[in-house]
Amino acid sequence: MGDGFIIDAHLHVGRPGAFFAPATEPDDLLRIMDKLGISHAICMDHRSIVEGCGAGLDAHRELFDRSNGRIYYLGVFHPRRAAACLAALERAKDWSGFAGLKIHPSCHGVPGDDPSYESAWTFAARHNLPILTHSWSVSQYNPTQYLSTPDRFENYVRSFGQARLVLGHAGGRGTGRLQAIRLAREYPNVYLDFAGDIFCYRLIENLVQSVPVEKILFGSDFPWFDPRANLSRVLLAEATPSTKIKILRDNAIRVYQLEVFQC
Amino acid sequence: MREDDITKMTEERRRLAKGLCFFDANIWLGDPEAFPLAEEMAPESISEVLDRRYVTGGLISHWRGKTVSPQAGNEAVLQSVRGNRRNLYVIWTGLPLFLPESGPVPGATQTPTEVRAVRIFPKSHNFPLVSWCLGSLCEWLSARRMPLFIWHTELDWPSLYLMAKAFPKLPIVVETQVQKILYHTRPLFALMRDCRNVLLEISNLAGQGFIEYVTWEFGAERLIFGSFWPVNDPLVAIGMVIDAEISREEKALIAGENLRRLISEA
Repeated sequence: MGDGFIIDAHLHVGRPGAFFAPATEPDDLLRIMDKLGISHAICMDHRSIVEGCGAGLDAHRELFDRSNGRIYYLGVFHPRRAAACLAALERAKDWSGFAGLKIHPSCHGVPGDDPSYESAWTFAARHNLPILTHSWSVSQYNPTQYLSTPDRFENYVRSFGQARLVLGHAGGRGTGRLQAIRLAREYPNVYLDFAGDIFCYRLIENLVQSVPVEKILFGSDFPWFDPRANLSRVLLAEATPSTKIKILRDNAIRVYQLEVFQC
Repeated sequence: MREDDITKMTEERRRLAKGLCFFDANIWLGDPEAFPLAEEMAPESISEVLDRRYVTGGLISHWRGKTVSPQAGNEAVLQSVRGNRRNLYVIWTGLPLFLPESGPVPGATQTPTEVRAVRIFPKSHNFPLVSWCLGSLCEWLSARRMPLFIWHTELDWPSLYLMAKAFPKLPIVVETQVQKILYHTRPLFALMRDCRNVLLEISNLAGQGFIEYVTWEFGAERLIFGSFWPVNDPLVAIGMVIDAEISREEKALIAGENLRRLISEA
């Protein structure tokens, strides 16, 4: 593992059909993590994102062991396949490396405030697990993003105060970010990761000014995006070293309860 | 202990960023269209802002050239950089030369010395990317050794391929910002393989390993540093270059040498 200590709290493995990616497999990921000083990651495989969790959890469990406990994983809850997903989550909830749930309203075509997510929230609350959700802004060129605007999660956040919600991509590049910031300020159980191409000018500085720094998590969205795109902007941001270490490591440990990392 | 590590990593990146003399193809003035959270950059603040993000200079564009008219944008951007002592030049917005467009557009009036490149918006300004319509502008640019810039959201790949083949001496810089270029890498990289006059601006070339892939397959000479500032943060593209698994010389080409050479010939 080398000297790495950074945690990438949002990435994937597997070949995405929608674009060419030179490196997508677990061994590629581990090599890149080593080079960049990323010790651990929170991962969801691409097939499970599309279809919901099932056999993918077994592969993740194996990868967690094979990576010497470096690549944690989430179970994807697909609301149209709720029963099968809950059964798979129930089976995996005590496995080493299992770190929580993932939902993706835009990919699954079910809005984030739909009642069909209630069983996932109940499961997360009962087992003290976090939920990572895709979140974005309304988009002119990607219409399904309206299913994942941060405001849609508010009722669940309020109703399940014991479940932690991470708004992946921090609400995206548009006004969804303002919604994400509001939720992170108002609710103690809401966190933000800025994985993906939320490349907005001074995003890190603005988030640090807008929400408690304990709410902000570093993520890459590999292999959609290269971890280097977000890593250097944190390191070069106008922020203190203690702020950067919280964003790059400490906050992920706390939100995903990565107990092996308590220092 | 960890904070010491962070400080060390930060200082190393600062040193690399300063040493590579980044020269930015994609600095924008005016009101950013469709980015409600992006703040307009004041012309008088450019120098200070550049320094804070390790950028030594570059090419300035104006949103008005897309949203209002090429003429309005061209006037505005020229006024903004005149008298600025920084290493700043201008991209004008162009139109096909066939119709006698009035006002300051490339080919219709004398081109000021600050203007070193031309950008077109075929979709926004309603003309096809084909030789029978745009060929006269391409000939005009080729004669002046001036590069043509175009957003990937403003083109279609088959048309760009034919244009690049028809004007092999015209450098064409495909810009990656606004939307994810990674969904277009299959046609984009095939185009770059076949058309050596097609270059790639990197503000959103952040897919895993893309900088290395293009450098190894097509050469570092084909990549142009750009930030799409102030919508995007220059630190994204800077980070991709300074941490790339390529040589120091290749990084320097991408960071600024390629663009400086490109516009010095104009």
